[in-house]
Amino acid sequence: MEWDIASLEDLEHYIWRCTACGTCKVAYDFGPPATCAPICPAGTEFGFEGNMSSKGKIAFARGILDGTLEFDEDLLNDIYRCTICAGCQNQCQLDHKPFIPEIMEAMRRKAVEQGVGPLPLHKNLTRSLKNYNNPYQGPRRLRTDWTRPFKKAKKPIKNIMKEPAPTLFYVGCTGAFNQGARPIPTATASLFQKLGLDFGILGENEVCCGSTAMRVGDAEEFKRLATHNLELFKKLHDEQGVETIITSCAGCYRAIKKDYILSSDYDKMMDGIRVVHTAQYLHELLQKGELPIEGELAMKVTYHDPCHIGRHLNKFEVDDDGSQLWPGAYLGMSEEDCVYEEPRELLKAIPGVEFMEMERNRSNSFCCGGGGGVMTGFGDWAAKNAGLRVEEGMGTGAEVMASTCPFCHFNLNSGAQRIQSSMKIQDVVELLDQVIPAKD
Amino acid sequence: MDTATAKKIDPVLEELQGIVGEKNASGAKHIRYAYSYDLSFVEPKLPDYVVMVQNVEQVQEVLRFANREKIPVVPYTAGTNIGGLCIPERGGILMDLKQMNKIIDIDVADGVAVIEPGVSHAQLAAALTPLGLRFGWPVGPPSASVSSCAISHGIGGLNARYGLQSQEITSMEVVLPTGELVRVGSCAIQKNAWHSTLPLPKLDGLFKGWLGSSGVVTKMGVNVHPAPPLLKIFTVSCDTVQDMYSYMFNLSNYEICDDITAVSWWLSQVPIPYPYKEKPDDAAEWNSYATTFSWTEAERDARAEIWDKVVAEEKAKGTSIQVTHYPEEALKGRTQLPSQVVGSTKNYCKQGGAGISWPGTFTPAKKWAPVYTRWKDILIGHNLSPSVRMSMYRGVHYGMLRAMIPFNKQSKEETENARQAIVECLRVDLDEGGIPYKPPVDFAKEINLRADPGYLMLLKRVKEMLDPNDIMNPGKLGI
Ligand SMILES: Cc1cc2nc3c(=O)[nH]c(=O)nc-3n(C[C@H](O)[C@H](O)[C@H](O)COP(=O)(O)OP(=O)(O)OC[C@H]3O[C@@H](n4cnc5c(N)ncnc54)[C@H](O)[C@@H]3O)c2cc1C
Ligand code: SF4
Ligand code: SF4
Repeated sequence: MEWDIASLEDLEHYIWRCTACGTCKVAYDFGPPATCAPICPAGTEFGFEGNMSSKGKIAFARGILDGTLEFDEDLLNDIYRCTICAGCQNQCQLDHKPFIPEIMEAMRRKAVEQGVGPLPLHKNLTRSLKNYNNPYQGPRRLRTDWTRPFKKAKKPIKNIMKEPAPTLFYVGCTGAFNQGARPIPTATASLFQKLGLDFGILGENEVCCGSTAMRVGDAEEFKRLATHNLELFKKLHDEQGVETIITSCAGCYRAIKKDYILSSDYDKMMDGIRVVHTAQYLHELLQKGELPIEGELAMKVTYHDPCHIGRHLNKFEVDDDGSQLWPGAYLGMSEEDCVYEEPRELLKAIPGVEFMEMERNRSNSFCCGGGGGVMTGFGDWAAKNAGLRVEEGMGTGAEVMASTCPFCHFNLNSGAQRIQSSMKIQDVVELLDQVIPAKD
Repeated sequence: MDTATAKKIDPVLEELQGIVGEKNASGAKHIRYAYSYDLSFVEPKLPDYVVMVQNVEQVQEVLRFANREKIPVVPYTAGTNIGGLCIPERGGILMDLKQMNKIIDIDVADGVAVIEPGVSHAQLAAALTPLGLRFGWPVGPPSASVSSCAISHGIGGLNARYGLQSQEITSMEVVLPTGELVRVGSCAIQKNAWHSTLPLPKLDGLFKGWLGSSGVVTKMGVNVHPAPPLLKIFTVSCDTVQDMYSYMFNLSNYEICDDITAVSWWLSQVPIPYPYKEKPDDAAEWNSYATTFSWTEAERDARAEIWDKVVAEEKAKGTSIQVTHYPEEALKGRTQLPSQVVGSTKNYCKQGGAGISWPGTFTPAKKWAPVYTRWKDILIGHNLSPSVRMSMYRGVHYGMLRAMIPFNKQSKEETENARQAIVECLRVDLDEGGIPYKPPVDFAKEINLRADPGYLMLLKRVKEMLDPNDIMNPGKLGI
C-alpha cells in the first residue's frame, strides 16, 4: 500500500507563505459584538512567539529548513508542545492554511527520521504500539475488560470476527484501556443494545487506529497500523458484512477519515463502508424519530468540541491547477464535515437539560490540551490547560461538561481534579444512555 | 555541552531569569529565531535573549540591568509594524510585552480606555462593543497592539474625523531606558486622571514616533467614542488621480466622514496582483469609499445631501467621477474592523508570497497626484503593482499616501527588487515634502539626509538625555 505523507521539504513552498502577521494567535470574530479570546494552548502557557500558534511553528519550520535551527532538546520540546488542535489554522487566511497541522507534524516526522524524535515519553508510547498494538502498554486481553458486565448480564457483545454484523463499533484504545474513559464504550454499547442495533466489536483483535503515532511524527508506525486496519476493514466488509464503522473516539474518527485517505488504496479498501462518529449516528436516529428518549435530566450542560471531530474536519478548497487564481491558492473552506451541531442537538433533545454555550465554541473552541501527544509528553501541562477549559465551562453556570471524545474526557477530568472543580465531565452518550429505556 | 548547562553559565540570562522568572526569559536559538524577522524586506537579525515581562516592576528591572550592562533592548508587542521595527539591529534583549494585556479601565463618561501595551485591537473591540463604544480600528491584524499602533502614529478608521491613533492618546505611563517610571498627560498630575495630554507641555511627544527608542510605554489612555448605529458608505470611481484628489479634497472640507480613502485599481484587487498586471481598459484607475456613521436617519440623509452636492460639483467640473457600486466584500474589509481576513494580509500579499513592505507616508494631499504619477513609473518599472492608497486625515489638513507592495519573501532577488523600488518611491515623496511613517532603517536614513541640522541635533540631544547608553532599540532612528 502506497502512502502519500508529506515531508517538511515537500511543504517548503507553503511554509514560506506565512506572513508572520499573527492573526493565528487569537480566536476572533467580528460580531457584533466582537469576540476575542486566546486560542493556542501552547501560547497561553509558554508565551514566546515561537510557542504561539502557527506563526511560531512556522518560524521553527523555516529555521529548520534554512539550516539556522538544529533539533536540540529545547527546540524538540517546543515542537512537541503543540496539541495540533488546529485552533491557529482556523484563524489564518493565507495559502498555507490547509497545510498548517501538516507542517507541524512534518517537523516531528523529520525529527523522528533523524532519530531525535519523538520525546522520550512518546517513545514509550510508540514502543507500546509496536509491542501491543495500543499506546497504553496494555496486553490484548485487557481490551475487552469493559465488556465483562455485558457478559454477566447475559447481554454479550458480538465478536465481529466470529459473528457477522452490519455495524462495527470501533472502540479505540483510550476507551478500552483508560480506566477513566471506560464508561464511554460501556454507555455506547449499552445504548446500542437498547436501540436494538446489530453491531459487533473487534475485541482483542482491535488494533490502534494509529492516530497517536501520526501526531507524534512516527509515520512508519502509523502506516503499519493503518495498513492493517484498512485491510481488516475490507475483510470485515467482504466476509462479515460490515457496512458501517462507528467510532466513539474523535481521534480514531479523524484518523480513519483524514489520515487513512493518504493511502493509495483507500477507496478500494473502504468501498461500501461508511465511517461515522457515535454523535453523528445517534443524531441521524434522532432526526428519524428513532431515538426513544423518555427520561429527564435536570442539569445545566455545556459542550466541549473535540478538535478532531471539529475543525480538523474542515474541508479546504485549493486551486491545485491554478485555473482560478494560481497553483496552490487557498480559495475557501467548508465546515460541512465538522461535527458541531449533532452533539449539541442531542444534548438539547434531553428533557430537563439546560444547554449553556462556552464563549469559545465550535471552530473557535479551546483545545482540552491533551492532543498531539501533549498528554503523554507533558501530562502536567495538559491537565493544567484542561483546568482552564473547565473554568471556562464553570463560567457558564453549567454543572456538566459534555464531550464526545474519550481523550478529551480523560484530560478534562484531570483538569477538573487539578483545580478541584465540581464540574462533572461526561460523554454525550453517557447522558443519553440515562434517558433511553431498555427495549424489553 | 547540553543546553541546560549552557543556560546556567550565561550570566545575562541568569540575571534576566532572576527578574522575570526562569520560564519567561530564554536564550534558546529557536525562540530568538521566531523574533528575528517580520513580513518586511528588512534583513532578519536575531536578538540574544527574549524576556516576557509580566509587570511594570519587571520592565524597570530589566531596563536598569540593561542600562548598566549597555545591552540593547527592543520593545515588542506583536511585531506587525511592517517596518522591521522590532528586528534588533544590534542584538540584545527582545522585550515581549504581550502578556501585559490588562484593560485597566473603560471610563464611559470620560470616553477613555486605559490599557496595558499587550492589549490587542481584537481584545479592546470585544470589550468596547457591548458598551456601545468604538475606536478607530486599523485594517491590520486583530492581534496587534492598540498602544503600539498609537505610539507609532498609526492609522485607523476614524482618521478623517479625529486624526491619527497618536492623536487619540490621552496620557501615558512610561519606563525610561534608565529604569525610572514617569508619567505624561493628566495622569502625571493626578494618578487616576487619564483624560488628556493638554494643557500641559506635550511631553507625550517624547514617546510617540520614536520607534521604541525612548522608553517602554506600560500604560496608555486612549479616547474611545460612541458608536452611532447607522453606517452609510459613499463610493465613487475616477479615471485619474487628479480627479480623485479633487473629489476627496472637496468632500473633506465638509467634515462629514469618519474615513475618506481612495485606492488604486491594483489595491482594490483581492489580492494585489503580483507581479504587475495591467489594469483592464474599462476599469477606473481609482475607487474611493467614504464612511459615515449617523445617529438618526435625518442625520444620515443630511450627510448624503452634502455628498450629493460634492459629486454634482465634481461632475460640473467635468472630471471623470462616477458614482459606483463598491464590491460588498471589499467594503466589509473596510468597515468590519478589526478584520481577521484583512489583517491576515490576505488581500495584500497572498499572491506575492509572505512579503509586504510599503512606502507609507504622510504627504500633503495636494502632492498626491505628482507623487503617484512618479511612483507608478517606478513600481511598474520594477514589475510591481502601483497598489496605492490615499487617505485624508482630520479634514484636508494632511493626508496619507502609501503603496502596499507584496513580494516573494522566499526569493532574495525579489525581496531586493521590492526594497529598491520602495526606497526609490520614498525619495520621490520626501523630495515633495512627504514623510514616511513607521520607517525601516533604510527610510530613516533617507529622512535624515534631508533633515534640518538643528532638528537632527535636537533629536540626538533628546535621545541622549533619555537614553544615555543608547540601549533602546538602537539604530532605528538612523542617527
Ligand atoms: C496587513 C497589515 C495591515 C496593517 N494595517 C495597518 C493600518 O491600517 N494602520 C496602522 O496603523 N497599522 C497597520 N499595520 C501595522 C501594525 O499592524 C499596527 O501598527 C499595529 O498596531 C502594531 O502593533 P504591534 O503590536 O505589531 O507593534 P510592534 O510591531 O510590536 O511594535 C511597533 C513599534 O513600537 C515599539 N513598541 C512596541 N511596544 C512598545 C512599548 N510598550 N513602548 C514603547 N515602544 C513600543 C516597537 O519597538 C516598534 O518600534 C498593518 C499591519 C499589517 C500586517
Ligand atoms: S500562520 Fe497565518 S495567521 Fe499565523 S502568522 Fe502565518 S500567515 Fe499569519
Ligand atoms: S495547533 Fe493548537 S496548540 Fe498547536 S500551535 Fe496551533 S493553536 Fe497552538
